[in-house]
Amino acid sequence: MAIRKLAFLVVLGVVAAACGTSSGTGQTSGGPKHGGTLTVAIGIDPDTLDPAAQTTTTASQIVDMVVERLYTLDSNGATQPQLASDVPKTSSDGLTYTIPLRTGVKFSDGTPFNAAAAKQGLDRLLNPGTFKTQPGVLSVIDTVTATDDKTLTIKLKSPFAPFVAALTQTNSAILSPASLTVQGNTAAQVKVPIGTGPYTYKDRVAGDHITLAANKDYWGSQKPNYDTQVIKIVPDDPSREALIRSGGADVIVAPPLSDLPALASDSSLKVLKAKSDRTLQIIIDTVDTNQPLLQKVEVRQALNYAVNKDEIVKNVMFGNAVVLDAPMSKTLFGYCSVGSYAFDPNKAKSMLQAAGASGMTVKLGSPTGRYPQDIKVATAVASYLHDVGITVQGPQTSDWPTYLGHVNVPPAQAAFDMHFLGWAPAYLDASQQFEQFRPDRIPPKGLETSYYSNPTVTDLVVKAGSEVDQQKRKDQYCQAAKQVWNDAPWIFLYNQSFPIVYSAKVTGVGAFPNEKFDTRFASPA
Amino acid sequence: MLTYIARRVLVSIPTVFGVATVIFLLVRLLPGDPARVIAGVLATPEDVDRIRHQFGLDQPLYVQYVTYIAHLLTGDLGISTRTGEPVTQEIFSRLPYTMELAVVSTVIAVTVGVTIGVLAATRRGTVLDLLISSLAVFGLSMPVYWLGLMLIIVLAIDIHAFPAAGAQDPLGFVLPSVTLALFSLALVARQSRSAMLEVLNQDFVRTARAKGAPLRTVLVKHALRNALLPVVTVIGLQFGALIGGAVLTETVFSWPGVGRLLVDSIFSRDYPVVQGVVLMLAVSFIFVNLLVDLLYAYVDPRIRYS
Repeated sequence: MAIRKLAFLVVLGVVAAACGTSSGTGQTSGGPKHGGTLTVAIGIDPDTLDPAAQTTTTASQIVDMVVERLYTLDSNGATQPQLASDVPKTSSDGLTYTIPLRTGVKFSDGTPFNAAAAKQGLDRLLNPGTFKTQPGVLSVIDTVTATDDKTLTIKLKSPFAPFVAALTQTNSAILSPASLTVQGNTAAQVKVPIGTGPYTYKDRVAGDHITLAANKDYWGSQKPNYDTQVIKIVPDDPSREALIRSGGADVIVAPPLSDLPALASDSSLKVLKAKSDRTLQIIIDTVDTNQPLLQKVEVRQALNYAVNKDEIVKNVMFGNAVVLDAPMSKTLFGYCSVGSYAFDPNKAKSMLQAAGASGMTVKLGSPTGRYPQDIKVATAVASYLHDVGITVQGPQTSDWPTYLGHVNVPPAQAAFDMHFLGWAPAYLDASQQFEQFRPDRIPPKGLETSYYSNPTVTDLVVKAGSEVDQQKRKDQYCQAAKQVWNDAPWIFLYNQSFPIVYSAKVTGVGAFPNEKFDTRFASPA
Repeated sequence: MLTYIARRVLVSIPTVFGVATVIFLLVRLLPGDPARVIAGVLATPEDVDRIRHQFGLDQPLYVQYVTYIAHLLTGDLGISTRTGEPVTQEIFSRLPYTMELAVVSTVIAVTVGVTIGVLAATRRGTVLDLLISSLAVFGLSMPVYWLGLMLIIVLAIDIHAFPAAGAQDPLGFVLPSVTLALFSLALVARQSRSAMLEVLNQDFVRTARAKGAPLRTVLVKHALRNALLPVVTVIGLQFGALIGGAVLTETVFSWPGVGRLLVDSIFSRDYPVVQGVVLMLAVSFIFVNLLVDLLYAYVDPRIRYS
């Protein structure tokens, strides 16, 4: 009994302390309120907070609060200078980028930010000795030179037009050079990231939470408003919903889609349906030998007419997606609307008949639990295909790593005739979307699992990759997209949204159009 | 006694070695390329190859095995491919959370389970017996996932008595412990009831009653003591299972225990952590079994180990 009383007193104490913090919330004249703690619940336990080893937006968005990059995105997805002070000067051959840097910026450990620090950051990313480093497209960098304190010169191995966009990725974030030897960090592996960002890393309980503290000396014009942000790891979607409903979290990402209408009607909560750059599609094996009919363009087009994308978005995705009108999302540079395959089962049937494909059999695969509603969407697609007389084996499904293992294979080993997959470029440029349509990215060299190859498209994409004239690049991608749309290596489905739910007591919660939330400058409402 | 323990420990060495070998092979039989899973779908082939090399996954299988066993002998379980932390640290940072739930829920299960089991046995055929037996069936058949969510909805969302998720709050352990306890509780209650029923029909109980011993003494000193052996076995097995982490409970309540570590590791094909957790699990099962066997001798003095 005594213990219970004690526990009760402890609870009282905690409640009192919590009230104390919130009542401590102050207001500067006219500006946002500040003070207190913001609790954010995410679904995946971040693997590493080392910028160089980032692979998921879930971990990257936390790193982004602490460590900044030369360039960043604004909420519309446009590239903006962050630690750079302006757009770079590009040499006429497209090989040399001269980047002017901000002056007077300090890392949270007091080390000044300068060109030498920026060089060290990028060199570390490119160094193969760095633990799990993933330069990705940035391996196009040949040398990085600190020309003077506030100028960085980067030379590329070959022209790479989306270079500045690629510098918005978290892997190019600049760590404090002095931080590479403190708190268990080594030059090869960073466990405690220290950067110039509005928050600093405070502590972490693996699998439970990460605590960030406001960087009081943040250089930017916007300042961090919460003293502390706690990022809780809550793997189960319904549990995240329960947490925000019970007041245990102020912001949650990716709630169960089916409950979004109920959450939106709750006056104590707000729902932000942020844009995402992720396209979802049924990828067709365009060189299929098990079902050679899929090699025919008319058959693949017929499949596109057979599926009612609007109904899938409305009923299976609960409206949290837009039907694709191009082989990429609207948020990418290079997007243009290229067409639509309006639902027309009769047309699909007659096209299939004309191609001798009536009643053909296809094997369909889908992951479970990788994308919102994934297996349910695949099941709906199977049902629409069935309606036009196609025999669908599946959707056969498995967990993500197993599924990826089945899909990421050269054409001769293809396990499915068609498979469900999402694709979300890490930087908002069509070049990475077109990795899905380039024959030089066919496994094992990439993840172009439709094995699609059209010299016209390849030619345009290669040209656009090094084209310095932005308008020309845009046109090239648009033209390539039209060709891809017509060749139909996918059943084009939809571009999903990235829902975030937050308490009405919070304001300033935002997002970037690549599935990252932004609570850096959130404040009490 | 000491010789007995020493012998048991020696005998368990080949078992541990066998487990280490089987799990080494099992994780590698799982489909999915760990380097590609770690690197993500957008990674370039060069990035994937570099990661494969950094973790020695490009080595022939026998080389990987020899390295693994050699490190194991020095107590080194390797580096997590997911987080880059030593596997031992990964496990020991999660183990206290798992032990907390395992101990609390076992305590609940044993105290409540044995009590209601004995109650049901002594009032066999009454409404109380029926109620308790129904509760036991409920506990055994109720999906943890559903029960956990119901508890969250009622106790966390509706009346805000407990936190809905996480281990940060001092009261965070209550809901997952209760959820977890229900299954073991039901098991212990059923076992206690049937063991007690068996004992209560025996001559020495009748004798004890006949010589005028108070009911309480007869039940606790004579009957229960004799009924405890199978109950202790059930408790031991359950506790052993709980150390492996209760995956569903830990997921529903976002509890940072070993079970979730194992699942996260399987889904990211983190071979060293999967191997490490399974080994730890095997060792703790062996340990708990030994403990249960020693406990037998204490509960029943007729059992002697030499």
